[in-house]
Amino acid sequence: MIIADHLIKTFVRNEKKNKKSEIKAVDDISLTVREGEIVGILGPNGAGKTTLLRMMSRLMKPTRGQVSIRIGQTEMTDEIEVKRHIGYLSNNTKLYGRLSTRELLQMLGTIYGIPEETVEERIRQISEVLSMDAFLDNRIEKLSTGQTQRASIARCLVHDPQVYIFDEPTLGLDIISSAAIIDFMKRERERGKTVLYSTHYMEEAEYLCDRIVLIHQGKIIREGTPAELKERTKKDSLRDVFSGLILEEDGKTMPAAAGGSQERPGSMEGGRAE
Amino acid sequence: MNTKIIRTLVKKEMLDVFRDKKTVIMMLVVPVILYPLIFIGAMQVVTLISSSMETQNYRIAVDAKDEGAFLHKLLESGEADSDDETDSAYEITIVDADSVADYEAALNEEVIDVYVSGQMQDGRMQYDIYYLHSVTNSDYAAGIVMEAFNKLREEMTRARIEEAGLNVHEILEPIGYEKENMSSSEQSLGSIMGSVLPFMLIISLLMGTMYPAIDTTAGERERGTLETILTLPVSNRQLIVSKFITVAAIGMISALLNILSMGGIAFYIYAILEMQTDAGSFDMVMFAPAILVCMLSIFAFSLFISAVTMCVTSFARSYKEANNYITPLMLVVMFVGYIGFIPNLELTQAMAMFPVANICLLIKNMLAFKVDYGMIAVVLISNVAYAVIAILFLSKIYDSEAILFSEQKGSLQLFEKRSNLRKGGVPTVSDVWFVVAVTILLVLYVGSLLQVKYGLAGVFGTQMILLLVPFALVFYTKKDIRQTYGFVQTGAAGFLGGACLITGLYLINIVLASGLARLFPESAGNVETTFSVILEDNVLAAFVVIALAPAVCEEMLFRGLILHSLKARYRIVSAIAITAALFGAYHMSLVKFIPTGLLGLALCYVTWRTGSIYPAMMMHFLNNAFSVMITYFPEQIGQAVPILAKETPAFSDMMLLCGAGLILVGIGGYVLGKCRRP
Repeated sequence: MIIADHLIKTFVRNEKKNKKSEIKAVDDISLTVREGEIVGILGPNGAGKTTLLRMMSRLMKPTRGQVSIRIGQTEMTDEIEVKRHIGYLSNNTKLYGRLSTRELLQMLGTIYGIPEETVEERIRQISEVLSMDAFLDNRIEKLSTGQTQRASIARCLVHDPQVYIFDEPTLGLDIISSAAIIDFMKRERERGKTVLYSTHYMEEAEYLCDRIVLIHQGKIIREGTPAELKERTKKDSLRDVFSGLILEEDGKTMPAAAGGSQERPGSMEGGRAE
Repeated sequence: MNTKIIRTLVKKEMLDVFRDKKTVIMMLVVPVILYPLIFIGAMQVVTLISSSMETQNYRIAVDAKDEGAFLHKLLESGEADSDDETDSAYEITIVDADSVADYEAALNEEVIDVYVSGQMQDGRMQYDIYYLHSVTNSDYAAGIVMEAFNKLREEMTRARIEEAGLNVHEILEPIGYEKENMSSSEQSLGSIMGSVLPFMLIISLLMGTMYPAIDTTAGERERGTLETILTLPVSNRQLIVSKFITVAAIGMISALLNILSMGGIAFYIYAILEMQTDAGSFDMVMFAPAILVCMLSIFAFSLFISAVTMCVTSFARSYKEANNYITPLMLVVMFVGYIGFIPNLELTQAMAMFPVANICLLIKNMLAFKVDYGMIAVVLISNVAYAVIAILFLSKIYDSEAILFSEQKGSLQLFEKRSNLRKGGVPTVSDVWFVVAVTILLVLYVGSLLQVKYGLAGVFGTQMILLLVPFALVFYTKKDIRQTYGFVQTGAAGFLGGACLITGLYLINIVLASGLARLFPESAGNVETTFSVILEDNVLAAFVVIALAPAVCEEMLFRGLILHSLKARYRIVSAIAITAALFGAYHMSLVKFIPTGLLGLALCYVTWRTGSIYPAMMMHFLNNAFSVMITYFPEQIGQAVPILAKETPAFSDMMLLCGAGLILVGIGGYVLGKCRRP
């Protein structure tokens, strides 16, 4: 179980010499994802999704608030401890092209402090599940996009983490490659793991998620199962729920202009392939 | 700290770096294959040229009445040479002088190699040898002719002395003398190596660390693996230490390979020389302490230089950007590395703390068999200490999310299409750094060449480089010329205050310069010689080139382009400090650094206070004009203001100058303080 407790992230942007403006990329978000649950984060560009996920995986320090992981009765808040139990994947987590997948996994195993024999055994299992035997010893830079994606999943799997955090994992992938990721998330849910992920694909979220969290301008605006969200807003599809809510929110804060997303700190949020 | 994690990370970084072809080429191929290849190639070219020269047939045209004796001698010298151990010989063809109508044309068309004309003058034969220095054959043939004349003259002298019934030996050599080299062959070798080796070491270490430093920092970011490694349960410090160990180790390996390769070549040359001549052999054991200290220096300097290069490259988001950032660093290190070539520069306590220079001087001293254990310790420890400081700074960078997750593209507009650039504003700092690096390189190489060849006109040419190269950037990137250079009107107060300030500073700088000249007598000598060269030209030209041109060109670069673009990005204090330091460093002299740095500071201050470059231009002109006047009219100035003309001013004079200077600076500062900033 991963718990985000009142997370706030402010970025200071240097506009010019002495002028500085503060932007709240994430504005007081609390969120709990339990074992055996997939939670999807939805929101327009610049809503703060990446920043939230980066904080929850401890890549970034929250300006205020705390992230903790609970396994059984033990609760961890230390940065290194939390990282040890998280598998994080985003479009910016590229692999070392000059190493082979096997070398990469062996190195990660040592860093996570897993005994050597266990690592070898796990590499064998992962390779079987993701059918990677054919290219396990090839340099990663030589692999195809689909193979690289599987190697990336293997990277998150090697330490068998309790929590998975994925930032738009299916962005720009073809149907086969994204199906591999979706299957993977479902499989891990069956194994009682905690999965938190962000996406722009409504159908995918509707099909996969136990719970959906809609965020906009750094705040949670709605939260619930796909069915609940549709019922409450009286819409047929999640797509309509989403656009309806965003327009409604923008109307509240800025009656004149509807597209508030441009006002967000794009430079800190970026890194998308689009 | 968990060493297992660090070991794993180092192993990964090493694998990553070594599997890159570029690194392997830089590290292995260059020293191990390229150096010997270049050397062997050069050797072969030299042998080829010299052998072709010696089997050459030289055509010599002689126009002289007294041809018989001379021609005979000439042919004889050709024969005499063929008796030498060198089996190659040259031939000489005497061309009839009557067939050569215009000897200059004949030389240029290479119909003949040398033209000799002789005629009676004041009762003796005077020969003129015409040749082309630029044509190898002609040059070589002229040498043969000269040699023949030397022999001829000697023989004739002997004959005449004998004719007069005198003792040839007593007349020609009334005294005997001989020069004997008392330094051991080890000392001679040490002094040669002492100037070359430190520079070679520093450059090879810099080159060796540069590539892995870029690869592990900017390269990692460019390839997108930085975020991956940040997801691991690894502390910031472990990450940096492992990267640092990798870079430093690769730097050391490549430095050692370089040294071994060059050492091998040197040994090879030495072996050949020893076979050919009876040069004394060396006692290598004597060099043991020097070699040991060299190794320790390589170790300490590689720590230092890797940490520094990594700090620089960590700000870059891509290879290209990192290369741009590292160019100025490289120039500075190379420039300081030349210090080993300066004779008689001692390793003092202060010098021992000065990075790069201290390593150079330490190795030089060790090779000169001057051992001071305290100094060795200071140099090594200071290098390690600087490395630690740089590493702490690096860990600050890796703590800064703003730098790590920044997605902005590199800001070099210079390489973008001109139509994509927006009009107005001042150039970006990265653009300015790049252009300043290019300009300084041009000034170093092209500028010094111009100055050697054309004197004052060359100095003027150098100033034009300073003006035009940066202007090309401003023009290409469509920047606002008025804003970039500060071409803004300003009131009389700015000029008045500026004039007071600069006069005061000039007086203070006289005192400073004489103080510094006592500390570094060698470098001070250099300054004087450069000025005496200029003295030969006329005063007006000197005023234009030395006072007016720098006032315009240097001001437009430093107080215009550099100051304004830095001001747009950093706080004004940092902008002024960087500009002034750069201006001091631009004068490329240890002695001049402090005075010119102060001058730069004053000029920056005035430009900032008034918002206009014109007062700074006037001040720069005044400052340089004072120097020109003192150089050209020492007597007149000595009569008017005796203190200024004294060779070694007394302490009281110095205090007086200093006091007057401070008062003037105070007045200037007060007036400028009243200036309304735009």
